[in-house]
Amino acid sequence: MSEFIPAFEWQRVMVEPWAENLSTTFWIVLMGFLITAACGLIGNYLILRRMALVGDAISHSVLPGLAIAFLLSHSLNTLPMFIGALGAGILTTVLIELIHKKTRVKQDSAIGITFSTLFAIGVILISFGQTDAVHLDAECVLYGEIAFVPLDLVQTELGPGALSVVEKIPGLNSEIFLNGNRLTIAPPSVIRMAVVTGITLLLIVVFYKELLVTSFDSGLSSSLGINSTVVHYALMAMLSVIIVSAFEAVGAILVIAMLILPGATASLLAHRLPPMFGITVVHALLSAVGGIHLATWLNCSPAGAMVVAGSVLFGLAWVFSPSQGLLRRWLGRELDELNEEELDRLAKGV
Amino acid sequence: MADTPATNGVNFPLEIHDLTAGYHKKPVLWGIDLQVPKGKLVGIVGPNGAGKSTLIKAIMGLVPPSSGWVKIFGKPYNENRRRVGYVPQRESVDWDFPVTVMDVVMMGRYGHVGWFKRPNKADREIARDCLDKVKMLPFAKRQISNLSGGQQQRVFLARALAQESDIYFMDEPFAGVDAATETAIIALLHELREKGKTLLVVHHDLPTARNYFDQLLLLNMRVVAYGETEEVFTYDLLQKTYGGRLTILSEVADAVGQRAK
Amino acid sequence: MWVVLALVPESAWSAKIGDVAEESSLGQQAFRFLSFRDPSVRYAVIGSVMLGISCGLLGCFIVVRKMALVGDTLSHAVLPGVALGFLCSGVSASGLFDWSFEVANITKNPALIFCGAVVAGVAGTFLVNTLKQTTKIKEDSALGLTLASFFAVGICLLTMIQGLETGNKSGIDKFMFGQAAAIGEDDIRLMLGVTLLIVAVVFLFYKELLVTSFDAGFARSIALPSQWIHHGLMLLVAFAVVIALQAVGVVLVSAMLITPAAAAYLLTDRMHRMLFLAVGFGVVSGVLGAFISFLKPNIPTGPCMVLGASAVFAVAFFGGPRHGVLTRWWRHVSRSKRVQRENTLKALFQVLERRDAQPEESVSLKELAERRRETLDDVSGQASALKQHGLVTLHEEGNKILFTPSGWQLACTIVRNHRLWELYLTNEANIAPDHVHDDAEQIEHVLGDDVVRELERMLDDTTRDPHGRAIPGFADIHKPFAPSAPGPSGYGRS
Repeated sequence: MSEFIPAFEWQRVMVEPWAENLSTTFWIVLMGFLITAACGLIGNYLILRRMALVGDAISHSVLPGLAIAFLLSHSLNTLPMFIGALGAGILTTVLIELIHKKTRVKQDSAIGITFSTLFAIGVILISFGQTDAVHLDAECVLYGEIAFVPLDLVQTELGPGALSVVEKIPGLNSEIFLNGNRLTIAPPSVIRMAVVTGITLLLIVVFYKELLVTSFDSGLSSSLGINSTVVHYALMAMLSVIIVSAFEAVGAILVIAMLILPGATASLLAHRLPPMFGITVVHALLSAVGGIHLATWLNCSPAGAMVVAGSVLFGLAWVFSPSQGLLRRWLGRELDELNEEELDRLAKGV
Repeated sequence: MADTPATNGVNFPLEIHDLTAGYHKKPVLWGIDLQVPKGKLVGIVGPNGAGKSTLIKAIMGLVPPSSGWVKIFGKPYNENRRRVGYVPQRESVDWDFPVTVMDVVMMGRYGHVGWFKRPNKADREIARDCLDKVKMLPFAKRQISNLSGGQQQRVFLARALAQESDIYFMDEPFAGVDAATETAIIALLHELREKGKTLLVVHHDLPTARNYFDQLLLLNMRVVAYGETEEVFTYDLLQKTYGGRLTILSEVADAVGQRAK
Repeated sequence: MWVVLALVPESAWSAKIGDVAEESSLGQQAFRFLSFRDPSVRYAVIGSVMLGISCGLLGCFIVVRKMALVGDTLSHAVLPGVALGFLCSGVSASGLFDWSFEVANITKNPALIFCGAVVAGVAGTFLVNTLKQTTKIKEDSALGLTLASFFAVGICLLTMIQGLETGNKSGIDKFMFGQAAAIGEDDIRLMLGVTLLIVAVVFLFYKELLVTSFDAGFARSIALPSQWIHHGLMLLVAFAVVIALQAVGVVLVSAMLITPAAAAYLLTDRMHRMLFLAVGFGVVSGVLGAFISFLKPNIPTGPCMVLGASAVFAVAFFGGPRHGVLTRWWRHVSRSKRVQRENTLKALFQVLERRDAQPEESVSLKELAERRRETLDDVSGQASALKQHGLVTLHEEGNKILFTPSGWQLACTIVRNHRLWELYLTNEANIAPDHVHDDAEQIEHVLGDDVVRELERMLDDTTRDPHGRAIPGFADIHKPFAPSAPGPSGYGRS
């Protein structure tokens, strides 16, 4: 078995990624963290709105949008990709609505039919254009190429004056950013993902009220004059943008895990949205770091390993959750017979 | 009552004229005419499937009308949303949602807060007062899934209070609550009426309806009767309301619904 | 028949699909496929047929039970099982505790992969159920979470396998998007067995499956173990998913469950017809997909099959005889044309009624246009539509319009419906007389004969409507019709 599962060498698995391959590791972890955080934040709302599987559908169906954008523009530039993904995302939402409103096919089948059709179109388009589409191949579709993220760095040469200034800034004076007189800014995909994550966070903060009310009680939101259809489509649009920015790194399917796992973990541990967002971000960080070590150890896909690490974190939350944990169930029913006061404390304490 | 011409909204916070509404073009309510005067506590009663909830949803624009109009204080609902408070049926929301009691009541203030802004201290004070009124202040920080049915209903009421509306629509606020909550709710409704608010409450229990409400709206796919409780609460009218559905009316509604498919 | 053919080795044509593809033209490839002499073509086709049958049958139950996304989850969740099954072929046991793992021994063993995948699929459904039972996580999140977590484990295992130094790993990446051409003889035997099992189970337990799908509560009340039937069905679905993997791939196999069945669901209201249709659609799209990917070998089979199924669904969606969108639109258009005709007839009736005239008298189009509050052009268009249907005749260069007997009868019926409904709303439903007209305008076109009879029975006096106008009765409708035609001659008496 040793050929298949390498021995766990502390030095190789835990130290070397940070000590020797710092610049590679750093960018992969950062990218993984940004993707999981953005997906997790918006995923919280998908879970609360019972739309987790719409997220599943959109993550599959951005593929034809990407493929068409690529075939038309012959580039992997941000703008055509975003437009393609937005178009595909909105198309998915509309098609699902259309099929299940206009016929007697139920919503679950409508979702299944829509995304499989669009995904199939995407795969075929990619197979046609495979010769020139370097970054868009079948493997990328499935699990992304997060390991390639650091290969494509935006660097700039610094003059002696600027160099001395930069060297004085403590954070920048490290091998991640500085190599001789060349200052690394960041891989473009990381920059894009950082912007998208920032915008997601900003929108969630700014429209906290509106998102909360439309998710909790659409009747009330309409009586308050908040148009829940607009909020719904805006959410879907944002979701498409996040998925497409993450696409190259983690592919179409692993991203579903990143949408759902952090929110599901948070829902086991917290009872209010703001702390849930906090847990989401922590979960994102831990799964990105855990994933890189797992991938180094087992020599497997880092994106897949990040999801596996995230699943392990979810499993831990499931076992140890104070309110719904398996441990609490196993410890016996006497916990259910706590008196009112203790229940109060439990409810507040978490 | 039906023939009086539409007047200004001062005397009649709610006016409905010839409203026909239903789901998927299948009419549930036919030719509803209604003028509710200010400061009245109105019970909406009728058998299952009579369209009680649909009436409220049609007034709130949640169910599109196929004919007729609704005016709130003399204006279409969309222009006067702010003056309308709504208490939906308890089952219509997910009680596992990660919000506390206080968060839910705060939502009632959102209409006053507006886009991009956060609720301020005054809003928080109002929310606290409203929670206090329904005796739920000690539960303010609790997650809503840890509440009993009666407590959930009180939270919804507190939220409606926090909306500070002038007219309230409540969908079965007494469904599945304990006796103490029921008394507390009715006391609160009376208090609101004293302040000149208008309240329309869907109710399913006939014996208590007689004592609770100033006016009754007997509904069975159309308005059977509307007026002061003592005038309307007669054997004949109740018999007419509960004496089975108008079979032809529902048959034809089905036919219309089939056609729309 | 095909099966027997397939199992006869034929060395002359045994080259794998794709080997020759580069040099040969599309036409040659098509001929190669259709001539059916190539065993790999035969395997691919037979495999697709099996796949169509098993997925079509089970898909119907999946769709009517609203479990489409459970199928999707299951199909993604089998991936780690596939990888493990692949790895297990490298394990050889020489004693009870004396196992060894040789990378070099790894082969694509269909039976091991089948077992691994089924175990993983069952574990996935078990996880979803446990999550739902022990936490507040809702079903959709539980499904998505399981799907993606299992898939991630599978991806890790696959990338690890790809890092191994073995020459036999080539087959496994085909499990992602499917390659029907990679189906071998062993695969076919397995598929055949599983398909027979599925057909037999569906045939034997048709009643039970139907009852539990329609109404689980009722099924329990007649002491059917619906839980076990559910689990059994899930196991069969896992079987179907696994045998379909090779041809369709992990990612899209759920579509072969859902799409043909959903298309069938749009076309029929009977479960057994739905089963046959779904099987038919599944087989057709399966073979079509295999054919197309044979023509263009660098296109994986799965997406082609799925697009075939989607095309069938699209046809059913737009053109289905009862539920199709275009069909319904067409019905709607013809219905509104009928309503239009009936309204014009009614206006004609009202003009005559106001004049207190006999049905045989003619009306000028101008009068009719005034009554309808429309332009002369509109009305003359409507008049010629009425004429086409034999409801009126036109005279004096189309300026005068005259009822035919059938037109008169229809007009009377419509007006009668309208006024009876107004009477009913006012008398029985207590709706104010000034409100009933708008409703009656809609309802007059919908009232069937039986409802009219019922209305007649219920209303005591059906001579006058709430506005005091006469309701045309039996005598009016069947008035002896003797046109004193002002026009060129004895029209109307048929």
